[in-house]
Amino acid sequence: MNARLDSFSYDDAIVRKFLFATIIFGLVGMLVGLIIAVQLAYPAANFGPIFAFGRLRPLHTNAVVFAFAGNAWFCGAYYATQRLLKTRMWSDKLSNFHFWGWQAIIVAAAITLPLGYTQAKEYAELEWPIDVAILIVWVAFAVNYFVTLTKRRERHIYVAIWFFIASIITVAVLHIFNNLAIPVGPLKSYSIYAGVQDAFMQWWYGHNAVAFFLTTPFLGLMYYFLPKAADRPVFSYKLSILHFWSLVFLYIWAGPHHLHYTALPDWASTLGMVFSVMLIAPSWGGMINGLLTLRGAWHKVVEEPVLKFFVLAVTAYGMSTFEGPVLSIKTVNGLAHYTDWIIAHVHTGALGWNGFLTFGMIYWLAPRLFQAPLFSKKLAETHFWVSTFGILLYVASIYSAGITQGLMWRAFDETGRLQFPDFIETTMRLMPMYWVRVAGGTLYLAGTVIFIYNIVMTWKRRPAAYDVPVVTAAPLDLSTPEPHAPAGTGVYARFVGLGWHRRWEGMPLFFSVMVLVAVAVASLFEIIPTFLIKSNVPTIASVKPYTPLELAGRDLYIREGCFNCHSQMIRPFRFETERYGDYSKPGESVYDHPFLWGSRRIGPDLAREGGKYPALWHVRHMENPRSISPKSIMPSYPFLLTNRTDFDGIQKRVDAMAMLGVPYGDAINHANQMARDQAALVAADIEKNGGPAGLADKEITALVAYLERLGTDIRQPAATAAAPAATAAATTPAPLKAGGN
Amino acid sequence: MRSIADVVGASGLSGYAIVALILFFLAFLAVLAAVLSPARSSYYERAGRLPLDDLTPQTPREP
Repeated sequence: MNARLDSFSYDDAIVRKFLFATIIFGLVGMLVGLIIAVQLAYPAANFGPIFAFGRLRPLHTNAVVFAFAGNAWFCGAYYATQRLLKTRMWSDKLSNFHFWGWQAIIVAAAITLPLGYTQAKEYAELEWPIDVAILIVWVAFAVNYFVTLTKRRERHIYVAIWFFIASIITVAVLHIFNNLAIPVGPLKSYSIYAGVQDAFMQWWYGHNAVAFFLTTPFLGLMYYFLPKAADRPVFSYKLSILHFWSLVFLYIWAGPHHLHYTALPDWASTLGMVFSVMLIAPSWGGMINGLLTLRGAWHKVVEEPVLKFFVLAVTAYGMSTFEGPVLSIKTVNGLAHYTDWIIAHVHTGALGWNGFLTFGMIYWLAPRLFQAPLFSKKLAETHFWVSTFGILLYVASIYSAGITQGLMWRAFDETGRLQFPDFIETTMRLMPMYWVRVAGGTLYLAGTVIFIYNIVMTWKRRPAAYDVPVVTAAPLDLSTPEPHAPAGTGVYARFVGLGWHRRWEGMPLFFSVMVLVAVAVASLFEIIPTFLIKSNVPTIASVKPYTPLELAGRDLYIREGCFNCHSQMIRPFRFETERYGDYSKPGESVYDHPFLWGSRRIGPDLAREGGKYPALWHVRHMENPRSISPKSIMPSYPFLLTNRTDFDGIQKRVDAMAMLGVPYGDAINHANQMARDQAALVAADIEKNGGPAGLADKEITALVAYLERLGTDIRQPAATAAAPAATAAATTPAPLKAGGN
Repeated sequence: MRSIADVVGASGLSGYAIVALILFFLAFLAVLAAVLSPARSSYYERAGRLPLDDLTPQTPREP
């Protein structure tokens, strides 16, 4: 036995920093969420280019996911990890680098997103320099974390740590591969993937960002803080093993359920559905494990607001993880996709699971970190009930909105025509529910304000100097085998005895490698066929690259965040083809870096927008949507009629696209002039039809050229298809007025 | 010259994702069997108590 004892203390200063960052950015993220909820119900609340829905929506999602939930995870992880390993974090400098680096990234996001710098990929909107910064900060976090694991004084790593390890590793893998892009400027890049492949990568990332940023780290927090608050061990440690490995194995496959009935290959879609349905087993195993940890302690739930928050959080986790698999079933998804149902599902998880687990954790941590009793238990109770009522209002109204709109989109009348052919009719039906959402969001935010007041008042009661307890423990001696390790004879007995797992728990780096293998193998099983099997994306001869002007217009479409409200993916349902036109083919988006299929239809699909309206219609519509459609909730974009097109920057963008394999031909040398020539044609057409003059060098012209091109290639005759791609793409102006109203 | 996409495309690999599904499902069943089988519960009780004591290591010197 080793008689030497080490003395050390835990670094709680870093935990306090992350705690404050959590509550500050939680307030910001929720406030922006409330603002965009108001904008949907009351479009006059969109102000100028910066404070419009399309630019603020990603700010809301990034703020609540990466700033609020991210800081909450780090706050809890730094507290729990040190105590579970009986050691201080290896490097205080790296801990602080992680903290300040992460906050700098959040500030950079808060500045660049409203300015329109975005990669147009959900939860991965941040542009390439910020992505590089995220990678650097993440590596610092990971190095500090894994070296701390090797310095531990506890032989075994507890289940919470497994979840943190899996999260750190998988987030790194997801971040790197989904954000691979070619920079074309200090804050502009094009994804190296296009169309189907880009969609596949994005939702492999997007779904697993939810899994490994909002689920697994919070499960780690649950496995640590719930037993602490209840003062009893987790219900079943063995069940947690099943919970952990099943999630790691299964989650990574489920992404394609975000792309049902799109141009994704059917086999990938089916696979995503099957794995998603399987996820219900481990997820509910985890929920049951959490709730049964409170066996014999339910009386404490009545008295302790911390436990109330935890119980509601775990219940919301169970509800979300039941609903997720249900939504992944293709027939259900056919109704729910593109509707508010998905938004309601997300908010059950975000407000209930992530929000309430964070609140409960901080209520438990605050007295310990600030070494003063909680300012007011009564206020914490009030917070719980106000925010719970807020969640109920939010999700009930938005579930109703989603199902209502989904049913209206697919309704036919007795003559076989669409019952609600005007999209705006389905939007107007949602307005009362949107206002109820505003009320629910206001209540949730009010609860958060109460929470922050309570925590700040607790902090004010702190002592002049924090007491730093010294912990004494023996160093870990791994040279002696662990006594009483589960054993058995024969392969089966040894396997079910789980002694092998106990050994893994004592080897954190090996454990981490096994997690990486599980995640990587599962990912590659899906990704390799999607990328390599040519038949997955049948080419269409008439589909050509965007002209330089259209490419510039597409970038404006991305800048304004139009993809947040408009899909470009018509599903093969009669109710969709009747409303929008022929269903979308995989080959139509082979030059789309990034893909812009969208995930929500607050406005109609635009995949076949080209030729539907004259150019002048688009000009008037963008200038003031309500001049065309009085009930429209779309923001106005009058500045597009005065902002000048950056013709000089177009060449660089075309060159980058060419580098990615887009066959641009002559445009590689003459993009600027070609864009000017096409802009002159578009502007002349607008003026000829009675529109304003002098728009040739204005952004609106580029955007109109792009919109008029959408979905038109597939209608081109075979003769055009046979023309050299580069010449056709570079010289053919957009079909300015191919169709009528 | 044929590209790698042509070569791999001709090999009919899309089915291997289904094979992977079956393999992963079997792995899931194996872990489930391990978890549900009777084992040394005292062992896991100790592991479950790890978060409850912030100051004393629970497992380096087990009895």
